[in-house]
Amino acid sequence: MKFLKLFKNSQVFKLALGVAILVVCYFGSKFFSQMQRLTSTLELIAKSNETQLELEKLLSIINSYDYSLRNYIITKDESYLQNRFLNRGIIEEGIKKLKILTVNDSVRNKDILTLEKLINYRFKLFRETLIAAKSSNVDRLGLNSKLKKSNDYTEMMKLFVYKIINSERLKTKFQNSNHQFELQDSLMTAFLLIILSLLILLLSFNKTNGDIEDLKQANDKLMLLNESFNAAEKTAGFGHWMVNLETNQYTFSDNMFRLMGVEPNAFESTLENSIKYLHPDDLEYVTQVHKDSLVNHQSTSIVFRFLTASNEVKYIMGVGSFTKDGNGNMIKIGVNYDITDQYKRTLELEENNKELKYINSELESFNNIVSHDLQEPLRKIQMFISRVEEKEFDGLSQQGRDYFSKIRIAANRMQTLLIDLVNYSRTIKGDKVFVETDLNKIISDTIQDLTTNIEEKSAILHIGQLPIIKAIPFQLKQLFINLVSNSLKYSQEDNIPQININSEVITEEEVSNYEIINKEDYYKIVVEDNGIGFKQEYAEKIFLLFKRLETDPKYSGTGLGLAICNRIVENHKGFIKVKSEPNRGSKFYIFLPKGDLV
Amino acid sequence: MKLNYNFDGNIACRTILQDQLEKLNINYQLLDLGQIEISDNISEDTFEELQTSLKRFAIHIIDNPKGQLIQKIKDAIIEIIYDKEKFPNTTISQYLADKLNYRYGYMTNIFSEYTHTSIENFIIIQKIERAKKFIIDGELSLTEISYELNYSSVAYLSTQFKKVTGLTPSMFKRVIDKRRKLSNTE
Amino acid sequence: MITHQDPMHILLADDDEDDRTFFSEAITELKMDNKLTLFKDGKDLMDYLELPDIKLPHILFLDLNMPGKTGIDCLKEIRANTRFKDVSVAIYSTSSSEKDIEDTFIEGANIYIKKPNDFSMLKKVIKEVINMNWQFHTSGLNIETFFFSI
Repeated sequence: MKFLKLFKNSQVFKLALGVAILVVCYFGSKFFSQMQRLTSTLELIAKSNETQLELEKLLSIINSYDYSLRNYIITKDESYLQNRFLNRGIIEEGIKKLKILTVNDSVRNKDILTLEKLINYRFKLFRETLIAAKSSNVDRLGLNSKLKKSNDYTEMMKLFVYKIINSERLKTKFQNSNHQFELQDSLMTAFLLIILSLLILLLSFNKTNGDIEDLKQANDKLMLLNESFNAAEKTAGFGHWMVNLETNQYTFSDNMFRLMGVEPNAFESTLENSIKYLHPDDLEYVTQVHKDSLVNHQSTSIVFRFLTASNEVKYIMGVGSFTKDGNGNMIKIGVNYDITDQYKRTLELEENNKELKYINSELESFNNIVSHDLQEPLRKIQMFISRVEEKEFDGLSQQGRDYFSKIRIAANRMQTLLIDLVNYSRTIKGDKVFVETDLNKIISDTIQDLTTNIEEKSAILHIGQLPIIKAIPFQLKQLFINLVSNSLKYSQEDNIPQININSEVITEEEVSNYEIINKEDYYKIVVEDNGIGFKQEYAEKIFLLFKRLETDPKYSGTGLGLAICNRIVENHKGFIKVKSEPNRGSKFYIFLPKGDLV
Repeated sequence: MKLNYNFDGNIACRTILQDQLEKLNINYQLLDLGQIEISDNISEDTFEELQTSLKRFAIHIIDNPKGQLIQKIKDAIIEIIYDKEKFPNTTISQYLADKLNYRYGYMTNIFSEYTHTSIENFIIIQKIERAKKFIIDGELSLTEISYELNYSSVAYLSTQFKKVTGLTPSMFKRVIDKRRKLSNTE
Repeated sequence: MITHQDPMHILLADDDEDDRTFFSEAITELKMDNKLTLFKDGKDLMDYLELPDIKLPHILFLDLNMPGKTGIDCLKEIRANTRFKDVSVAIYSTSSSEKDIEDTFIEGANIYIKKPNDFSMLKKVIKEVINMNWQFHTSGLNIETFFFSI
């Protein structure tokens, strides 16, 4: 989840960064073009200044020429004329320069060409004036007009040049203000550029910082996860390995090494190193399966053995499957699971199960022996006893008769014992089919079965309304047959036996005494009699096998009846308790759970 | 195909008697159960012929007086069992003595001597026989059956049923159902 | 009308010699003027029943647990043959399991007797069974619904 968020964040960030760079690029290019323009205006200004300078230079030369000529005319000193050819050369150079400077300005260029013509004409005037002045007969009037004409012409030329200079100056001024404005613009752009770059830098820094923090946290978590995974592998007996199918590089987890009985990273993680620890009998099979899987990329699942460094045999369940790593390389990931304990336990269980089945079948045949084979000869003995008693008794001595009746009693006791034993073993072995059972019906069946005994003792039974429960019907019937016949058997001689069977509400005392969590969870059935009872201290004992309280032969019993009851109630996940008082009677409490018993 | 059917033995018997008697041109009048009044004297031959023709239907002409008395006792008992209205308010012994004009003690002696069972036992067997029919028909509940047969309670009927058949009514019903299923699948 | 004086014809098939002796002694002591024929196993019994000119028995006592042809086998064969429809079959066995009782009744037995372990009880049981059977044969009771378990 977190990783996904991080990933999403970085995606947004990348987009923002891209946009920012685009903006910076735009401003950069704008700045560049502005700078470019700035240079060109500067150049223009410089050119214009130079043009002005050259023009003024030209004017000054012409002026100086004029002065020199005048001075000569006045003084007739030839030295004033010595520079005239030099000046003429400078002017020509100046014109040339001006032509170059104004090459891009057609108007100005035309102006320069006009200027050139003007200058040429002026010099023609100079020459004519000079010639006039040099002649021996000076025509004062002519010379004066010539001078006047030259002067006027010079003035006109000056005006022309100043006009040009003026227009250049105007141009320069405009350029200058333009330059000034563009400079401000560029400054603005540059400032923006810097701010933006700074912003991006800051953002990037912040983001990187955050990412690094996140990465660190993720890393920490990963490390923790890795550690706990390692610990988990160790406790659970798991180990895993990986192989990159492109590079054939193997990686083993720490516990993978432990499974082979060595310390983590005890050797380089390679197939060759690990198969040394395979049980020799499994080596061929396991490597074959592994190699096949590397070709067909099918998942594998095998059970094999490691023969560890300490010669211990470990049973391993190994599963392998294929997937692609982050770089799109096919890898095989395998998990090995130490199932030695399980395997051994299964073997043990199988062994136990076999034994149990054997014991069960033994018990079954024992049951058959008891219920049928043993009873057959006993029945014959009893039959012959009754035959002798009926026909031959008179021929016996008194002692013989006594012995004989003892034989009969012993044989009868043996019969009851056999029947009880069969009943008891029936409560142990299978056939525990739980069905909806109406206890009222069970009780009425019980009474029908015991009709003879009940009539014999003229007992009075009071039966309350009983619930319908999920139970094993024949066992419940056995339970009540045993309890009721118990009550009949241990009745007081001079008292009419009274037996009450009722369903009662569980008391708070019982909840705490018998650790019942919720009294709604159990049915409580009470079987109460007014028989001879017993001391409460024997209450636990009477449910044990072959425990009998009465030794008086008139209360014949096998000591199995109540043990059977206990067993049956336990089979129903319930419990049985008894409260009794000598000569007052006993109260048996049967607690049967209401819920599902399966 | 198996058909389950129901029948009234009395009507069946009467119809058979009428058929056979008419075939032999005998003037007759059907009296109470088990008795026919023949108005004319009939020849030995005709009598024997009647005896043989009825024997085929397991109807026997009883010619000894004790046998006749036993038959009368049986008929009287069956009558009150099969018709709830006729069930006497007094004891059955009193009822039989009044109806047949014999001392009850005498009747019990004769009855036991000839039938291997007591009158009381015969009554129980007949009642349970009727209960069986009711149970098989499956239309009445045990409570209704016990009322129909003048039992004081269902428990009493069940107990007596178990005594006579060795089975509880429900086991009896189960056995009959399974037996029918078995013979239907054959 | 079968009267008290008519002899009742009884068959018993039991592989146990002592039990056959007890049974015949009991019948004799009952002095009920019955004719008893004994068979030592199921095969002997069935061979006899298949004879064409025998007088059919009134009641047949069958031990369940016999070598070869068991009591249940005999019962099934008998009930499959309408010739024996009036013969009451009494199972005479050491088993008292409700399952055995129910199963044999379903297969067509009329009477189920758990072999008693007292001779006087045996006599009492046989007497009751014969009487009960007699009732069913003489009182127009439905033999098909005749069950008696003791």
